[in-house]
Amino acid sequence: MQSSQTPLIEAQNLVKAFGRTRALDDVSCAISTGERLVVIGPSGSGKSTLIRCLNGLVKPDAGKITFDGQRVEPTSEGHWRRLRQRVGMVFQDYTLFPHLTAIENITLAPVRAGLMPKPQAELAARRLLERVQLAEKATSYPAFLSGGQQQRVAIARALAMRPQVLLFDEPTSALDPEMIKEVLDLMVSLARDGMTMIVVTHEMGFAHAVADRVLFMEAGRIVEAGPPDQIFGNQNDVRTREFVRRIA
Amino acid sequence: MPMALLLDNLGFFLTGLEFTIRLALLTLVCAIGVSLLIGLMSVSQWRALRIAALCYVEFWRDIPLLVNLLFIYFGAPLVGVPLKPFTAALLSLTLWGGANGAEIVRGGINAIGRHQFVSATALGLKRWQIYRYVVLPQALMPILPPMTGLCTTLVQATSLASLLGVNEFFRIAQIVVERTTMQSGHSPAFLIYGFALLVYFAICSALTWLSRYFEQRLQKTGHSAIAAPRGFKESA
Repeated sequence: MQSSQTPLIEAQNLVKAFGRTRALDDVSCAISTGERLVVIGPSGSGKSTLIRCLNGLVKPDAGKITFDGQRVEPTSEGHWRRLRQRVGMVFQDYTLFPHLTAIENITLAPVRAGLMPKPQAELAARRLLERVQLAEKATSYPAFLSGGQQQRVAIARALAMRPQVLLFDEPTSALDPEMIKEVLDLMVSLARDGMTMIVVTHEMGFAHAVADRVLFMEAGRIVEAGPPDQIFGNQNDVRTREFVRRIA
Repeated sequence: MPMALLLDNLGFFLTGLEFTIRLALLTLVCAIGVSLLIGLMSVSQWRALRIAALCYVEFWRDIPLLVNLLFIYFGAPLVGVPLKPFTAALLSLTLWGGANGAEIVRGGINAIGRHQFVSATALGLKRWQIYRYVVLPQALMPILPPMTGLCTTLVQATSLASLLGVNEFFRIAQIVVERTTMQSGHSPAFLIYGFALLVYFAICSALTWLSRYFEQRLQKTGHSAIAAPRGFKESA
């Protein structure tokens, strides 16, 4: 597990308000290549808003975001669009495209973004489906897949763009309990292969096993950040300790 | 003999039917085209386009079709563009049909959850690509039934062109009734208009049958299924 010194993505002093609520209140964080960052915290703490700022789905009201050392102009949708090909995202509700088969879901973006021609994309998609252990479901429509299967296809779809970093927004929160393990196992395996990832999750076991660093957020601020042993065992802040105790 | 009357005028009826079908087909093609254009404008990211679409829809939707028809036919020469009755009918049906159709298209697009758009955005797709490959194909399902209803209304509304003197099918039926009444002294109105009713019914039934066929094909590919999990909750 190597980490380079220069951060891949760096966010500084992000502020974002929705109406009168401050979802992000002066939040700064960074992730380096090969690093696994897990973000935990109660609902409403700003975790989702934070990672959505990192691929431009949410534009912060203030603050600076740099990608690979290059500053991203906050309002430049064109710049973000090109960056999104390097930053993959997996959502809580998987949102596969229901009118396309699993393999069509995966090949759509690489082909339309001009990354590779269709035959090559299909070959790559089949390899990805094998990777997520759903090779036999290539021609199935999402409506005929279980939640866990859909989420794994969604992960394959994000991987198809060959991103440098994967963002996960509570990927297992909407799954029935018996399907959570298959998705977490896949994420652990991706981490072992060296994928850079930022994961917002409530799954503490996963966080403990995979994270290099854990951020605890509350009310739009990062309360504490550190290695898993610190956040889960030897907290510096009482709020962190209370949260961990509550969900343990 | 009633059948004799129909058969004697068969050629006449057929010329009227040809007009009706020609007007109906042209109207449907043009109205659907306008519906798509204005419908897409009404969800555009540019406010000016959205407002233009809104004004267009509100104006043409809130006028009765009959008034619309006469307004265009008699108004066009005043702005220096005299129109043939057929063209005036086509134009007014298109403008009215396009306005109603645009609302159907807009409703269909909005029925596709925002999450689909966000998910496609996260993959790095351009806005037009998201509409072309993700949103519009899914919007077909909610658009198809009401759009079919609008199309059958437009086909029936072609009969209004008779008021401008277009010799479409309904006008032919009228002429046959009047002529026969004058010649033979009794009115075949029930027979002839009953016949006309059956013909319009046949045409519109064919349309709705076609529409249901496409609906079933779309359903087979999961177009109507929204693969959202139960208990999904939004977190900050």
